[in-house]
Amino acid sequence: MTSSAEQVPAREITILLVEDDPPTLWRLQDALAKAGFDVAAAPNLAEARASLAGRAPRVLLTDLQLPDGHGVELIRETRARLPDTEIMVISALGDEETVISAITVGATGYILKDAFPSDIAATVRDLVAGHSPISASIARFIVRRTQAGAEPPPGPELNTAKLTPREIDILWGIAKGFSYAEIADNLGMSRQTVPGHIKSIYRKLEVHTRGEAVFEAVQQGLIKL
Amino acid sequence: MEVPARPAGPPSPPLRARHAASRLVQYLMLQALIAILCIFVLRQPLPEPPSNLLVSSFSLSDRGETRRATLPDFVPTRASMKDPAVFTGSFAWSAREADSGWSVYLPRFTNGVVVLVNGVEILDSRRDPSANRADRATPEIAVIPTTLLHDGANALVIRLFVWGPISGFLDKVYVGPDASLRRYYERRTLLFVTLPVVFSAWQGILAVILTVMWTMRRADTAYGVLAAAMALGAIQAFLPSAIDQPKFPELNSTLLTAAPIESACVLAFGIRFFGRRWPRLLGPLIFLPGVIVALVGLFGNPVLTRQLFLYLGVPAILLHLLLLALIVGWSEMRRQDVPSLLLGCGVTVVLTSIVHDVLEVAGLISDDRLFFTRLSYSAVLVAIGAGLTFRFAQALNRVDGFAAHLAIQLREAEEKLKASFAREQERERAAALARERARLMRDLHDGLGGQLVSIVALSERNTGSAGIGDAARAALKDLRLVIDSMDDIGGDLMLALASWRDRAAAQLRPHDIALDWRAVPPGLPVYPELRPWHVIQIIRILDEAVTNAVKHAGARHVAVSIETRKDAGGEQGCITVSDDGKGFSPEDDTNRPASRGLRNMQNRAARCGAELELSSGSSGTTVRLQLPRRFPEGDAAAG
Repeated sequence: MTSSAEQVPAREITILLVEDDPPTLWRLQDALAKAGFDVAAAPNLAEARASLAGRAPRVLLTDLQLPDGHGVELIRETRARLPDTEIMVISALGDEETVISAITVGATGYILKDAFPSDIAATVRDLVAGHSPISASIARFIVRRTQAGAEPPPGPELNTAKLTPREIDILWGIAKGFSYAEIADNLGMSRQTVPGHIKSIYRKLEVHTRGEAVFEAVQQGLIKL
Repeated sequence: MEVPARPAGPPSPPLRARHAASRLVQYLMLQALIAILCIFVLRQPLPEPPSNLLVSSFSLSDRGETRRATLPDFVPTRASMKDPAVFTGSFAWSAREADSGWSVYLPRFTNGVVVLVNGVEILDSRRDPSANRADRATPEIAVIPTTLLHDGANALVIRLFVWGPISGFLDKVYVGPDASLRRYYERRTLLFVTLPVVFSAWQGILAVILTVMWTMRRADTAYGVLAAAMALGAIQAFLPSAIDQPKFPELNSTLLTAAPIESACVLAFGIRFFGRRWPRLLGPLIFLPGVIVALVGLFGNPVLTRQLFLYLGVPAILLHLLLLALIVGWSEMRRQDVPSLLLGCGVTVVLTSIVHDVLEVAGLISDDRLFFTRLSYSAVLVAIGAGLTFRFAQALNRVDGFAAHLAIQLREAEEKLKASFAREQERERAAALARERARLMRDLHDGLGGQLVSIVALSERNTGSAGIGDAARAALKDLRLVIDSMDDIGGDLMLALASWRDRAAAQLRPHDIALDWRAVPPGLPVYPELRPWHVIQIIRILDEAVTNAVKHAGARHVAVSIETRKDAGGEQGCITVSDDGKGFSPEDDTNRPASRGLRNMQNRAARCGAELELSSGSSGTTVRLQLPRRFPEGDAAAG
């Protein structure tokens, strides 16, 4: 997970950090600033919007629970308005509730709030390089949703219809604790391509617009044209 | 007959055809054998009294003409009952024989005789209803009163009455001691009078049984028509003939000539019973000859009725029997069941007899006026009785089998229902757990989780409180473990270990310790009985091992190896955590944190039924966790 294909100078990477808990905000800001990133911070939704209106950051890191609203709205707006901005959610537990709901609106990664500073910086660098992080429990959650069941397990809504069998195989490998190298060997693919697949999986889980919702409904046979 | 063994699978068409052909040949050969046997028995001459008692030379006066006649002899049918053919002869008697009574014995005649000795009538067969029926070869015997006889030649006059439909016939006549003649008479009586009565009684019983059967099962019309046939046969056997001045002569003669209707009923039974559909258009046609004869009997004269019976009724019966033979033979070919075979043989016996009788009446074979059709019909009656009983027993067996089958099915259904109920319960339990987990996760995330993160962040700003930060981080890690272990992993411990791998790697990375992860495919066996608390215990053991490697051993590498060992007892999962640290001695002071951690690990392993092996030396420490074959249900050591 820590491998990065190409190194973009950290100074050229602008980050907007949205977090309402001051100690956590300081901690993350410190970790990122020490790694050389150009970090701006916002404690709530309103300031974050103002900042985004001013300049488009390369990376948006946002908590979900904010005093004046929900981070999901910010992610959706940013994804629609600034397609080049990579978005990550900041999660206390890295649980699927938080991560999946962020991914369905356009996030392509997550950071644990208590992660060590070096890990925080590495995750952002990898994301910019096109490699999204995924945990075994998130992979397990997605895979479970791909399996046909009478009633979907509780948790956020997730449409896995667009995932290819190969992508589901990769998710299974991660859920079972295999390394990217082992998964790549097992599936007969290049090891470097696995992290890229994760981002692609996240993108496919995203529900973009009303139009897309209609498209998906048609795909699943819910609507007949 | 040997029933050919059925092949296990459906044979190929040519093989099947050959099979069917061989079956047909076997069946036909059996029927031919029966027919030959019948002919042999029918042509067997009946025992006759000694020839010295024979009165053979007669002068016959028939319709004004007189000629010499040697018995047996035929006279043509005539219209009048008052104009018999008169046979006049004589026999010698000696007074020395006055002690032994003498008799006149007439083995066979059609249709009626009056016997006179020396001008005195000693026998009139027309008073015997059985003797008046041409189809029964009723013999007659009459004792000659000794007072009538005189030494030397005695006159014997026999008047032969003929009322059709066949010509008159008088077989050989014997006169002699009653002692030597009577047993021949008795033998014929048994064969031609008593036996038919016995079979008619049997037919009556069959009629009753079949009527009851049909009353209870109206849909089985086969039993209804067969009951009608049996009733007709039984009734007509005990009816007086037209000569006996019956009360309702028309009805009487109609019933007497009901044999074509009876045979049509038996044929209808054959069609229905052996599974052919009743032909709606042609079916009623089989009753037509019988109905015509019956109508003529009701409204025409008796002579015409008898003629019609001979020329329409008998061919109809023959045709019915032929059709029945075909149907039964076809059924035997198709099903090879006992009723078909029995009835097939019975029909062959009757067919042979009726052909024999017809040929006899037509004069194509030597004619002794012994008709066997009615007698041989008893073979069909026996076949019907045996066949029905066989079917009945078979049906009972099937009912028993069906009941047993039903019981088995019921049990299976019950078990399936139980299993599905258990499955449903399990699903509900899993869903409830998942809902609970989601709720807990949300609560922890919003509350405790965020607060712990704040503590970590604050402790990092204040360099003096590193311990607080470590504690908060450990609390966060444990929080994630608790949430993770509540997820439904379907007994696949590999899924829980994968999540732990993420957390362990994150824990080791800041200390620059590499985590070597080696899972030998296919990983661990699936444990359907695995519960969240088992998962927590196992993960905490592994956490403890990793924490020891970080805190106390100063290791550079931690290796985790997961494999399944197969032995005679089945599969057994095994997880090994080893480090390359400086190790420790298990005999060290028990109050040291490492020892306390070790005791904890042992306790946790015991609660899960797992075995923990620990070996430590200067080159590192290895913790080997041997998982149980089956995780225990309850947490016995929880207290």
